[in-house]
Amino acid sequence: MKQKVAVRFSIHPKILSFVSFILVLSLIVAACAPAATPTPTPQPAEKPTQAPQPTPTSKPKPAEKTTFRIAVGIDPDTLDPVATTTTTVGNMVDYVVETLVRIDKEGNLQPLLAESWEVSDDGLTVIFRLRKGVKFHDGTPFNAEAVKFNIDRMLDPDVRVPIRAPYTPIESVEVVDEYTVKLNLKEPSAPLVNAFSWTTAGMISPKSVEEYGNTYKNAQHPVGTGPYVFKERVKGEKIVVEKFEDYWGEKPYYDVVEFRIVPEAATRESLLLAGQVDLIILPPAADIPALQQNPDVEVLLAPSDRTIFVAINNLDPILKDKRVRQALNYAVDKRAIIDKVLFGAADPMDAPMAPSLFGYCKIGEYPYDPDKAKALLKEAGYEKLDLKFIAPTGRYVQDFQAAQAISGYLAEVGVNAPVSTMDWPSYVATIVKPPEENDTQLHYLGWAPAYLDAAQQMLQFLSTYAPPNGLETSFYKNEKVDELILKAAKETDPEVRANLYCEASKIVWDDAPWIFLWVQRFPIVYSAKVTGVSYLPNEKFDALYARPK
Amino acid sequence: MGGFTHYLIQRLLAALVTLIGVATIVFILMRLLPGDPARIIAGLLASPEEVERIRVQLGLDKPLPVQYVLFMGRLFVGDLGISARTNQPVLMEVAARLPNTLKLALVSTALASVFGVTAGVLAATRRYSLFDYIASFGSLIGISMPVYWLGLLLIIVFAVKLHWLPAAGADKPTSIIMPSLTLALFSVALVARMTRASMLEVLNQDYIRTARAKGLRERTVIFRHALQNAFIPVLTVIGLQFGALLGGAVLTESVFGWPGIGLLMVDSIFARDYPVVQGIVLVFSALFILVNLIVDILYAYIDPRIHYG
Repeated sequence: MKQKVAVRFSIHPKILSFVSFILVLSLIVAACAPAATPTPTPQPAEKPTQAPQPTPTSKPKPAEKTTFRIAVGIDPDTLDPVATTTTTVGNMVDYVVETLVRIDKEGNLQPLLAESWEVSDDGLTVIFRLRKGVKFHDGTPFNAEAVKFNIDRMLDPDVRVPIRAPYTPIESVEVVDEYTVKLNLKEPSAPLVNAFSWTTAGMISPKSVEEYGNTYKNAQHPVGTGPYVFKERVKGEKIVVEKFEDYWGEKPYYDVVEFRIVPEAATRESLLLAGQVDLIILPPAADIPALQQNPDVEVLLAPSDRTIFVAINNLDPILKDKRVRQALNYAVDKRAIIDKVLFGAADPMDAPMAPSLFGYCKIGEYPYDPDKAKALLKEAGYEKLDLKFIAPTGRYVQDFQAAQAISGYLAEVGVNAPVSTMDWPSYVATIVKPPEENDTQLHYLGWAPAYLDAAQQMLQFLSTYAPPNGLETSFYKNEKVDELILKAAKETDPEVRANLYCEASKIVWDDAPWIFLWVQRFPIVYSAKVTGVSYLPNEKFDALYARPK
Repeated sequence: MGGFTHYLIQRLLAALVTLIGVATIVFILMRLLPGDPARIIAGLLASPEEVERIRVQLGLDKPLPVQYVLFMGRLFVGDLGISARTNQPVLMEVAARLPNTLKLALVSTALASVFGVTAGVLAATRRYSLFDYIASFGSLIGISMPVYWLGLLLIIVFAVKLHWLPAAGADKPTSIIMPSLTLALFSVALVARMTRASMLEVLNQDYIRTARAKGLRERTVIFRHALQNAFIPVLTVIGLQFGALLGGAVLTESVFGWPGIGLLMVDSIFARDYPVVQGIVLVFSALFILVNLIVDILYAYIDPRIHYG
């Protein structure tokens, strides 16, 4: 009875129905799947008549929205400015949320939402004079009350603010008048104003923490004053922002900016080469030379503030000898590694901090000199040494590969230090162990201050900041350096302060608590069809005013 | 039917016990991993005070047994907790990505079933023919080719060179083509090999000879009589593959920037986001158990000799 049917269908109907069941199911899922958490959009109070755009002349159809697409590698953990810890997340939030001050390409402070500021002579009060006529995206006026709200929120221990420390010298915030805010400090803090350029201190609409699914403690739908309005986030996929027609400053060219989340560097590169995005950060390092040859794209190796180094355990019986530490510095050919392993995406360190920081003064590189290294080691009483060396993988540009190269150079002067690696959380747990449990001798690390001031960088040489009290993971201690750093943090005269840091830097450089490697460059690659792409010297791209050529 | 209901209840009870076991194991395993979630979330620039504050917010300052009891207690009311990394409900994080992963796994399983079974049957019936060699060799390549490499190859050809398909993302109808092909390839090969082996075994049996002897057309013999009996192990493989594809899509999702749960899992492990990892593992386990149950029920449907109850 079944044969007739079977002959025509050939396949057993039950199997057929099973397969079609799967097919139908997958179609159903495919059809109704991607409704992933769309969030309501804050409409600007009223949409004014279209801003002077390239007017659609020929046809009456609505002008196609121009979109600028950027591929980044990380899916943001948060979009609440106070909770951000990563520059790339900050970079995206900056499109929507503005800070009181900003830094420019050279790292100098510039006004943004504050038109000017003054620090009192005793360093105990800071006054910000605010820009007038600025509105948040929800129509709320930007004024002193809004600033007070944001700073109070940033200081509220109930709110998660990982990088709160720079702001904790603030005792209270006073509204002097509608457009003047006064900060009263517990103690002078020279880098405080600079810290107001960091995304943590971004100004969001006080009203918005009650709306759009936001709470006072967690505002994932940022409503700021920036040139773009937060439109939509599809987790793991993209963040979309749209031009704010009421923006107080120069309006950007593109109507929409789309940040695409693409964790794989090679895929980001392909997206750009396929013309499916306009800008990417961090392409595969090994492809940088080929991209530089490619006429379709522009490569920008942006100077950054991230110093890359091998921290030496200064409490180790062998390594507490300065001569050994200096020998390690002479043993490594930094320039060759930058050329061959980092493909040019770095500059050798010539001071214990990046040149873009306030307080930097050039001291001079440790040249590659294996003979001197051997001589110093011999002087210290060592012909051969065995050291434990660890490095992370994929955290910094070519980190593990560079560490292997360093290990090779060390071997040439008789220091046997094979590199081992581990995942990032385990790595951090290993290097922050208190001295008595800490048996790492060399570890590869990168350090980028949140704002461009020596204060946060020099914590790396402040002995009281050693684990478990902080992250001075080299356990370096020099009382003179400690004294200079602490003094500089409270000094209000910029010139005196810079000199204090310079003096401390010179001692640190000679003491060689690290193998000083390089200041990493931040690779940005963008389509040759656009112009107006730049960078900020803290691992951020600056493409707000990008436009077609 | 009473027997079947009884069987179902039994299976569901067993599933519950399994899930409790899974929850306990993942709870312990996560905490055995070195690394401090609070420090990782706060970042290197955070001060020790802020790290400590976050640790308290996450409840990680409490003793482990207390954390365990709280976790299980919440679980029984269906609360997977709050993501340590994003400070948002785990359920929300998972729900935002699960549909994408399900979609990818289903499409890939469908592709694997159709192509795998077809190739396997053809290879078995044309044993030692050119097609058989090509299919066997092809499936060997399919099994051996790293997903990562294949994915990038597809991207270079179809996105960069030909401009036919989006290189990454999930927001266009064509977005799923490359990820599902990449993900399916391994399974196609596996299903094809399993079908071929199973078919060859069945084709040697007496009843096949009988079927041929009574003059049935070869097609009828192959597809009606042989494949039906050869299909049980193939079905098992397909079911297991579906489970594996759910959890094993991490690399594919990473290469194609596919916003699925695999990527969330990786991000969460690297952030030591205990609640999210626990949540994902539980959701996966539940799905896996469900798929196995469905496969078992399908056995009885396809093979009348199998009864439950």
